[in-house]
Amino acid sequence: MRLGRDGIAGLIGLAVSLLLLPQALSLPKLPIVPVGPGFYPIIVLVFMALTSTLLLVQDIRAQRQPAAAAADAAPALPRAYGLVAAAFAVITAYIMLLPLLGFRIATALFVAAFQLVLERPATVRQWAVLLAIAIGTSAVTYSLFNDYLFVLLPRGLWTNW
Amino acid sequence: MLELLGNGIVDVMHWKYLLPLFAGTLAGVVGGALPGVTITMTIIVLLPFTYGLEPLAGLAAMTGVYVGGSAGGLITACLIGIPGTPSAIATTFDGFPMARKGQPGRAVWLGVWASFFGGLVGGLFLILVTGPLAQIALAFGPWEYFSLFILAMAMVAGLAEASLLKSLVATAIGLFITIVGTDPIGGVPRFTFGSEFLSGGFPFLPVLIGVFAFAQIMTDVEKIRQPGAQGEVLAKRPSLSVAHLKVIGEILGRPFLFLWSVIVGIVIGVLPAIGGSAASVLAYDQAKKFSRTPELFGTGHPEGIIASEASNNANVGGSLVTIMAFGIPGDAVTAVMLGAMTIHGIQSGPLFVSQNPALAYGIYAAYILAHPLMVMIIWASTFFVLRLTSVRLAVLAPIVLVLCVIGAYALNNTMDSVYVLLIFGVFGYVLVKAGFPLAPLILGLILGDQIELNLIRSIMTDSNPWLFVTRPISGGLLAAAVLSVALAVWQHLRHHKRSAGEEEADF
Repeated sequence: MRLGRDGIAGLIGLAVSLLLLPQALSLPKLPIVPVGPGFYPIIVLVFMALTSTLLLVQDIRAQRQPAAAAADAAPALPRAYGLVAAAFAVITAYIMLLPLLGFRIATALFVAAFQLVLERPATVRQWAVLLAIAIGTSAVTYSLFNDYLFVLLPRGLWTNW
Repeated sequence: MLELLGNGIVDVMHWKYLLPLFAGTLAGVVGGALPGVTITMTIIVLLPFTYGLEPLAGLAAMTGVYVGGSAGGLITACLIGIPGTPSAIATTFDGFPMARKGQPGRAVWLGVWASFFGGLVGGLFLILVTGPLAQIALAFGPWEYFSLFILAMAMVAGLAEASLLKSLVATAIGLFITIVGTDPIGGVPRFTFGSEFLSGGFPFLPVLIGVFAFAQIMTDVEKIRQPGAQGEVLAKRPSLSVAHLKVIGEILGRPFLFLWSVIVGIVIGVLPAIGGSAASVLAYDQAKKFSRTPELFGTGHPEGIIASEASNNANVGGSLVTIMAFGIPGDAVTAVMLGAMTIHGIQSGPLFVSQNPALAYGIYAAYILAHPLMVMIIWASTFFVLRLTSVRLAVLAPIVLVLCVIGAYALNNTMDSVYVLLIFGVFGYVLVKAGFPLAPLILGLILGDQIELNLIRSIMTDSNPWLFVTRPISGGLLAAAVLSVALAVWQHLRHHKRSAGEEEADF
């Protein structure tokens, strides 16, 4: 049996709610309150399980009918999913390195890396602009938040800066 | 009330509030004008700047963003033919043709003055209606609150562009996120898996920032190599000078069109989860239907610009009503405002106006003052703003992301919130790609705790579950909720199936 996008989403929703339901059911009862802390989570999880199941069923039924709807859809423009993956990787690295390198260094590296992922500079001038934006963003946000807006930004565990 | 409003205006005229209001309005105009940067994104970027401010200063800045953003989109819509925000889509239909015909000044200023007057009438509605509505809500017991929140969620699920079922699943996910953490009555940890951080539940703002900002930036990154979307720049820098009184006369000389557009805007604003883009498109459509010259629409007809811009700014007033009277955000922008209020320890809901009159009237005053500021800013900076639109995504995206990270980190100075931001950023993007709407999720996320609290409270007061149905107001609200879902199902069956493709998400 083949599943579409919705079917998979429904299956995940159903699985999560069924996995967590036993936990909700085993939450302790409180002496004064007529319903325990598990009461509302059970309602939410049952609601999630029901809607996910319906989504799954709808998708299975749609998959049985051969793709009549898909045929008349306009051809989609190419999407750069590789870039999205790379962008997420750069953000993840930034967030992981932030407490180690400190805000200033990590941010400059991140802004430079993110620009590099989206557009590779060709000339020396473009490289200089890229670096200036990276260092500028880091310096301006740091001084603005740290010195004027009293928002403390993380210092690096490795760099202490 | 007039006295309170007068005091509010005098208060906000103080530089301590006026400066953030000005900065917010300017940021709103710029963010609104930049294609690909929505009002939601602008307010998210602005958020960390407001943490250190007084509540009113922060909220004034956000109100400014909302007003400025709703008008800023028209600059790009009229001058380069690309809507700066989704709420300026309908402005493009007539604004750009008019500019191309050699009247760019008339196009821009018809839009600006329509936004100005539309927004002010929306403000009048906001000031007159919020108090009485909150008064009604004050008589509510926990049953009515519970039912009101259910109605809000049912409406959002029913109105969302995507399928009803997916909206309901998204609502369920939003509600589920709120049950993680200690339970509100007895303090028992739920689904925390022993994590200290999770015992406080997922912090609302990092989830919201992650879901909205990442989903949008990443969908833009996908399209970066696609050709097109460059827009046509008018041949040479055109003169925008125009006889303002004449333009204002053109707007106010069409009182029916203007007021009807404003009403459409306000009503769409009051309804949760459909925002400015729906308001402007609907008002444009209505204007065309009622017009004596419908064939002129799309060729640079002033009525089209007036309808679209008057309604999208009136929409702001309507959205603020729902959040100030009930604590139910009408869209993502007001959801961020609600989050900002919670940071400052302000309880939103029907008590808000009566308990914080200075703050409430301060917001009204900021809303009203933002309109002349918006006009001034657009007057002074149209071409500067237009030049900014050439900033590339490769530069814009990392800066926006850095501000998102600061916004999450600075909430309570822990990296944990930043990790939440990242996790929900990925999650939000996956949801959008899977065709789930984000608005129901956010509403579930915001209302989840309140729903549980009011549910448990009503059961503790009286264990009879039928009270939800037999109490007249509560029963009426629940009936309306059922009706709105039934209506959505009926519409779905009638149109059979809308295209199964990925919906263009409206952030």
